[in-house]
Amino acid sequence: MNQPLSVRTVDIWKTFEAEPEPVHALQGISLEVAQGEFTAIAGPSGCGKTTLLNVLGGLTRATSGEVWVAGSDLEALSERRLARLRLEHIGFVFQAYNLLPVLTALENAEFTLLLKGVDRQERRQRVLALFAKLGLEDLEDRRPGRLSGGQQQRVAVVRAVVGAPAIVLADEPTANLDSHASDDLLRMMEELNHELGTTFIFATHDPRVMERSHRLIRLVDGQIESDDVRAPPAGAGSG
Amino acid sequence: MPERTDPPGLSNGVLLRLAFRNVRKSARRSILTASAMTLGLALLILSRTLADGAHESWIDQGVRLGAGHVAVQGEGYQTSKSLDDLLSAADLDGAVEALGSPQFESRVSAYAPRLTAPGLASSTGSSVPVLLTGVDPAVEVEFSPLDDLLAEGRYLEPDDRLAAYVGEGLVRRLGLRIGSRFVVTAADADGQIQGQLLRVRGVFRTGVPDLDQSLVHLPLSTAQDWLGTRGGVTSLAILMWSSRTAAAARRELRDLLPSRGVEVLTWTETAPELEAAVKIDDLGDWVFHGITLAIVALAILNAVLMSVLHRRREFGVLRALGLTANETGRVVIAEGVMLSVISGLLGIALGLGVVFGFWSDGLDMSFLMDQELEISGSLIDPVMVPAFRIAQIGWSLLFILFIGISASLYPARQAARIDVAEAMKFER
Repeated sequence: MNQPLSVRTVDIWKTFEAEPEPVHALQGISLEVAQGEFTAIAGPSGCGKTTLLNVLGGLTRATSGEVWVAGSDLEALSERRLARLRLEHIGFVFQAYNLLPVLTALENAEFTLLLKGVDRQERRQRVLALFAKLGLEDLEDRRPGRLSGGQQQRVAVVRAVVGAPAIVLADEPTANLDSHASDDLLRMMEELNHELGTTFIFATHDPRVMERSHRLIRLVDGQIESDDVRAPPAGAGSG
Repeated sequence: MPERTDPPGLSNGVLLRLAFRNVRKSARRSILTASAMTLGLALLILSRTLADGAHESWIDQGVRLGAGHVAVQGEGYQTSKSLDDLLSAADLDGAVEALGSPQFESRVSAYAPRLTAPGLASSTGSSVPVLLTGVDPAVEVEFSPLDDLLAEGRYLEPDDRLAAYVGEGLVRRLGLRIGSRFVVTAADADGQIQGQLLRVRGVFRTGVPDLDQSLVHLPLSTAQDWLGTRGGVTSLAILMWSSRTAAAARRELRDLLPSRGVEVLTWTETAPELEAAVKIDDLGDWVFHGITLAIVALAILNAVLMSVLHRRREFGVLRALGLTANETGRVVIAEGVMLSVISGLLGIALGLGVVFGFWSDGLDMSFLMDQELEISGSLIDPVMVPAFRIAQIGWSLLFILFIGISASLYPARQAARIDVAEAMKFER
């Protein structure tokens, strides 16, 4: 694997205080994800998939261990720097779409660009190009409440990738979609992975996501049970 | 290698857009919250303008019956109340000349020389302690409210010599009527007890028993001759168009008048009990305002906090997308400020609208009064006419903004401290 690394974790543990005893959601996860990978993390409910994604995204801190994302040690960053790292280098796609209800589809999609200070013309250009690619033309002015689940998830994908992040973390992105919409979404993310070289890491139960991923990591009880690499990362052959 | 810089993050434009859209989205909650703030501010404005108007009326009545907004007196008279400390005829002329200068023209409404002495009024039947005041009838009608409270006869006229204008309480106590004669006695400027025969020309009725029984107006020249003051008076009472200009007028008059033998005082010094009454009433008003606004603040706090608690996922998303904790808190505060500004403007409009309704006729509170009221020698007018001041409106707006922001601080802190991973899990 010659690609630069998007993510590296070293022996990370995440423990939640609980009664009668603490819950060890992650138990010594060490992992390297290269730029351009299309990776699925699978496993039964409660195995630690979402917790791992949250740790990789800096939404929660590991109890111990090292987490490196886009060259930064997340555990060493202040909350403010962590927020800015998320803005610059990490895109999120959530199961529940999580678009901001008061913004239109276009405004939701360009939100991270606004925060980055990208000028209006460039924002619109980048968002509309992705809208066209993902079949969202003419939906720019609609609020999330007037979009279907599949459309909302596609807007969320545009929001996640439009800022050209080092990594996109997608937590059960197809869980609320029918099979047709799921296939469409996966195809689009594959295209973005291939064309933009964006790293995707999915937490999923969905067999279709597992089948189409280039690498499948199985978690059981907070530990990596298997790590199966099936294809090289996007762009690995070109350079 | 150029230094790496952070992205700018949440700009004010995005902040305001988010705040406005959120306020608009939760229209029902926003309207209810804004209504509480609007009514609170309108009530504050109405209450303050009525209180200011009432206090100005108390002061106006008090200084008209008393020593004016500003009093020029002989040095030491304020404490001695003795004719030993008269304002001499020369100093009186000097003060009148000073008041003629252009700097006072626009601020001074009237001025009146007065010679006041405690004394005894007697008829064949009985004697009553009174406060005798020698007045210049020509200027006093512009100054004192007593001539407007005429019950019988007429007020003093410039040609009157041995005339008296008395209250109906005194008339009743001494068994007098219009044209009756009675005797007043008082200590003169040399400390000798002197008597003076006066004839009742007019009777007033204030409705306040103490005033109706004790006040006696007589011509200034008669009083001066009788008490041997050689043209001296106890005070030159000055009436300003507004009580707020009294302190400045005193400073300027002090600069113009001799520093020895003359004192220039404001109404707060000549009638400290009136000032205390105004302050105590003000304090009571502010306690009432404080309670009202605390209730408004709690209503806002409740509304904004509920809004934050219902939008945990949304704040989690904002944090996930790259907003810092402070920026997330600012979104909540911006919503509170926006609600406060909108409510503040509506509250001012509503408050001024109601105030305008009372502008000409005032708010008649006489149904609450069995008889006329008096505070520190000041007749209380049962009709409260609001007094409008721009500064008061500005302060009220700032006050409601302060409350809006304060009430948003705790919810903002809650939003800023949100556990992002938990918040995202929350809506699953």
